[in-house]
Amino acid sequence: MNLKISALEYVQEVKNGNISSEDFMAKTLERISDVDDKLHAFLSVNEDAVDQAHEIDKKIKSGVKVGSCFGMPISIKDNICIKNSKTTCASKMLENFIAPYDATAITKLKEQDAIFVGKVNLDEFAMGLTTEFSAFGPSKNPWNIEYVPGGSSGGSAVSVSAFECIASLGSDTGGSVRNPGSFCSTVGYKPTYGLISRYGLISYANSIEQIGPLTRTVKDTAFILNIISGLDENDNTTIDNKNTNYLSDIDVGIEGKKIGIIKEMIGDGIDPSVLSATKDAISKLESLGATCEEVSLNMVKYSVAAYYTITATEAGSNLARYDNIRYGYDFPVEGYEFNSYISKARRNFGPEVKRRMMIGGFVPSAGHAGKYFLKAMKVKSKLTKEINEAFKKFDLLISPTVPILPFKIGEKIDDPVSLFLVDINTVTANLTGKPAISIPFAITNGLPVGIQLMADSMNDKLLLQAAYALENTVTLPEVPI
Amino acid sequence: MVTQEEITRVSKLMKIEIDDHREYVDKVKKMIGYFDVLDSAGVESEEISMPEIQISSLREDKHIPFSDKLIEKINHYKGTYIHAPKMSS
Repeated sequence: MNLKISALEYVQEVKNGNISSEDFMAKTLERISDVDDKLHAFLSVNEDAVDQAHEIDKKIKSGVKVGSCFGMPISIKDNICIKNSKTTCASKMLENFIAPYDATAITKLKEQDAIFVGKVNLDEFAMGLTTEFSAFGPSKNPWNIEYVPGGSSGGSAVSVSAFECIASLGSDTGGSVRNPGSFCSTVGYKPTYGLISRYGLISYANSIEQIGPLTRTVKDTAFILNIISGLDENDNTTIDNKNTNYLSDIDVGIEGKKIGIIKEMIGDGIDPSVLSATKDAISKLESLGATCEEVSLNMVKYSVAAYYTITATEAGSNLARYDNIRYGYDFPVEGYEFNSYISKARRNFGPEVKRRMMIGGFVPSAGHAGKYFLKAMKVKSKLTKEINEAFKKFDLLISPTVPILPFKIGEKIDDPVSLFLVDINTVTANLTGKPAISIPFAITNGLPVGIQLMADSMNDKLLLQAAYALENTVTLPEVPI
Repeated sequence: MVTQEEITRVSKLMKIEIDDHREYVDKVKKMIGYFDVLDSAGVESEEISMPEIQISSLREDKHIPFSDKLIEKINHYKGTYIHAPKMSS
């Protein structure tokens, strides 16, 4: 049984009767059991997955119509609700929280007979970019287990990269799908804001976060996007994509396309090997008929400060609900005054979440809002204007996904500002609502490098076409685990 | 520059108790200090753009009953009431 196949290959193999959903699922669970002690991608595993796969096989044999996923094993970041399953957000605050409903993306995948093989690790409440801030311990990079897998959707990227599932759903607030995609050599996709419903995604920073797929191939991302995108009356920020088929014409190529190289994302602080890979990617795109030239987005240098100011403010508000009365863990109320009880209970938040909530209380507060929050919002507006201007001239924008290679676990954990700067190339897409993708492109000294492409809002189809073209210019080695 | 007193005040406001006070204060100060870069962005005259959604585009505001009794999922639900800590006078 080859667990390394893509989602589309899996569908074909099951359709043709070459493999059964049940056998594939059993082997997938075996794989998880073999490697996950080392990698720690999973926070919980679906013990009913094999039975569910068996039911899919029964439906196929009896000629009952089966959804387009044919029992495909998919992992889900543990901040996306699956009804009657634990949804912990990798936090001690929600250690035993059972979701009472399905996220819309989950409902749509269920309708297409996907099987959720388990919930995967993240930085607590998605606040981080290494998965080191999970209350249940870090995930490890399958390319070298001494290194971080990226984050916050680190468990998602690890599970796809290490063949513990075929695809995964993560969430991307400032690069949390693309960054681990880059660090673990998987495709990571952040759609146009509103393309995928956020209903059932536990809120961190609503105004910019999106659910996004992590897959082995660009085509697989298009396949998943076809299923989970579109309007949802439970999320009034969703947009009508007119049932766009992202998979059709994915191979049209990029001849004649104009690509802007974002100057501020290949400058100071970039690792030479990442820069070299980026230049190589640009050459390859040119050889496919695209024209590439530099473009400047001046606001990029302020984007990380604006991003953290805005997200911390929204997080401070969103996380106010965790008072241990409505949501929380087993901690008796007897003997406490109301406010002191809440403060005591909230000690169960991890250090990074506490820090961001404190910042979230500070930057929008009276006397400071003008200096921080309002300025951050103005940077966001100006950055959006700049990128909209760039898209008048260019079809796509290119940069490395992350300016540095994956780093060792613990290497940056005590330096929050150096961690901030890892986000420099990814936050722009979130602040401006644009779609962006990380494509596995190189392995340098045994560590992956991803290339990021961005497109204008609602040009997700064009973005996937370009990503597919770039993906096909390289053949990468297999993950060594 | 952010002061230790301000950070202490905000931690109370956000209902966050911290043990290793000094470490928290230092890190939070460092993080907020980094945000000072916004001062040089030159965006003072910039207008903040906000997305607009027409009321007609929103779903109908009607009660949709939920199939489960959500109240039963609350930790301190006692059948007819929720046991909460006393409010100070």
